[in-house]
Amino acid sequence: MASFLSLLLALAAAPLYPGIILKVKAFFAGKKGPPLLIKYYTLWKLLQKGSVYSTSTTFVFKLGPVVSFAAAVLPLLFFPFAGNASLFSFHGDVVLMLYVMGMGRFFTVVAALDTASPFEGMGCAREVFFSTLAELTLFAILILFYRLSGSLSMSSFFSEGNTLTLAGASGALIVLVIVALFMVLLTENSRVPVDDPATHLELTMIHEVMILDHSGPDLALIELGAFYKLFFYAAFIIQLLCPFSLPLSLLNIIFFFILLALVYTAVGVIESIMARFKMNLVPKFILTSFVLGFFAVILTMGVLQ
Amino acid sequence: MINFLEVILVLILLTVLLSLGSTRLVALVRIMALQGVLVSLTPLLLKGHGLASLGAVAFYVAMLAIKGVLIPAMLIRAVKSVSIQREIEPFVGYHASILMGLIFLLSAVFMTNSLHLSLPEGRALILICAVTTMATGLFLMLARKKAITQVIGYLMLENGIYLIGNALSQHHSLYIVEFGVLLDLLVAVMVMGIILTNINHAFDDVDTTLLGQLKD
Repeated sequence: MASFLSLLLALAAAPLYPGIILKVKAFFAGKKGPPLLIKYYTLWKLLQKGSVYSTSTTFVFKLGPVVSFAAAVLPLLFFPFAGNASLFSFHGDVVLMLYVMGMGRFFTVVAALDTASPFEGMGCAREVFFSTLAELTLFAILILFYRLSGSLSMSSFFSEGNTLTLAGASGALIVLVIVALFMVLLTENSRVPVDDPATHLELTMIHEVMILDHSGPDLALIELGAFYKLFFYAAFIIQLLCPFSLPLSLLNIIFFFILLALVYTAVGVIESIMARFKMNLVPKFILTSFVLGFFAVILTMGVLQ
Repeated sequence: MINFLEVILVLILLTVLLSLGSTRLVALVRIMALQGVLVSLTPLLLKGHGLASLGAVAFYVAMLAIKGVLIPAMLIRAVKSVSIQREIEPFVGYHASILMGLIFLLSAVFMTNSLHLSLPEGRALILICAVTTMATGLFLMLARKKAITQVIGYLMLENGIYLIGNALSQHHSLYIVEFGVLLDLLVAVMVMGIILTNINHAFDDVDTTLLGQLKD
């Protein structure tokens, strides 16, 4: 029951949080900013429109948004929100989750290439290159979690007994993991300093340029998928922060969703105080996150077990 | 309960890693300030060190002020006065430097495991951290061209030595020696400031490799 409830809440609330990022950015700029529910309005507006398809595109182009949306929702089914058991779980489901997201990316890329626009091809190359590097980090973290908890499923990472949190026995390592995961979050969801979601110049885009030709409901699906992806990473980080062991599961869930705003605020703050990196500095940024994850793995060989 | 000592040590490792990858000198100095604060907080969290006497308190406060405020402030002033912002074309590139950090940590873990020192409970991580910091400091001194970065490497080396002292010592007795080293370091930073200005005057740059061109 609690698992269903939290999943539904997550699916419904995911578009709310990017509004927080916009509010934080507006606060730093001294503006009022768009309303918190702006992303819901955008989705509603897009869903009411029709789609435009170029005559040069094939069925691949129409497939892209649907598959990438499904690939963004699927990992959430395996996610144990606030320590509740996830809907599905089996040994090794984390690997599946990561590769399902990889498949979503693949279809976005293929759909973008299908338009034969040179800008989109450039965006694809960047997106694929950076997420290949980010995968290194994710797997370094998985190796660490496997060493610490002896299992490879999301819900057993965060179930009772396995305390992969800051307060747990190996809390010091989790500090490294949280920093590394946050860097991956910024990379995978194309936020500043890796990519600027607010840019208007195609030459500097990474993610935005791949979805230039999508319109209407297709664009809505892509946007919603992007919100879910960001939500997944943010939830992962929050789950590492504290064990959520309040007596009532409903309280836990509320607490969890309030804490989530923290991650989004952090993203907003970073977006306000940092400029984006030059393209050639991005690999260094991602490499740093990998080394952080690997630092943690190495330390388990020494003393922190 | 959160083990604050381990968290601080891991944060020190984080600063070591960031210092290997940072291109901007001001950012590098800030990272060093953070590392200085973290390093001088470590003895407070060790069992049997604590705030035993007034002398110890004065020592910790002085340590924190010098490592966390005084030296970084002087370095920032040096960076501002010669108006250089980043280290371009180091001897060893940044990606390679980051990977070197990984290798240093790996060898530090193996070293600590095979040394079989009879360390007190929970001190092994300090030793790992200390060896990594020292190796990285040495590496920064070798791999970078600018005088400021080299001094920062020296600073990091000293931080590592201080951590080793923490790991091995049981009492405050060692701190007198440490304090001497710290004063040395302070003088070194001052001298660096003077040299930096002079190199800058002579060559319009602060690249130490240019000193090889000097003739009578």
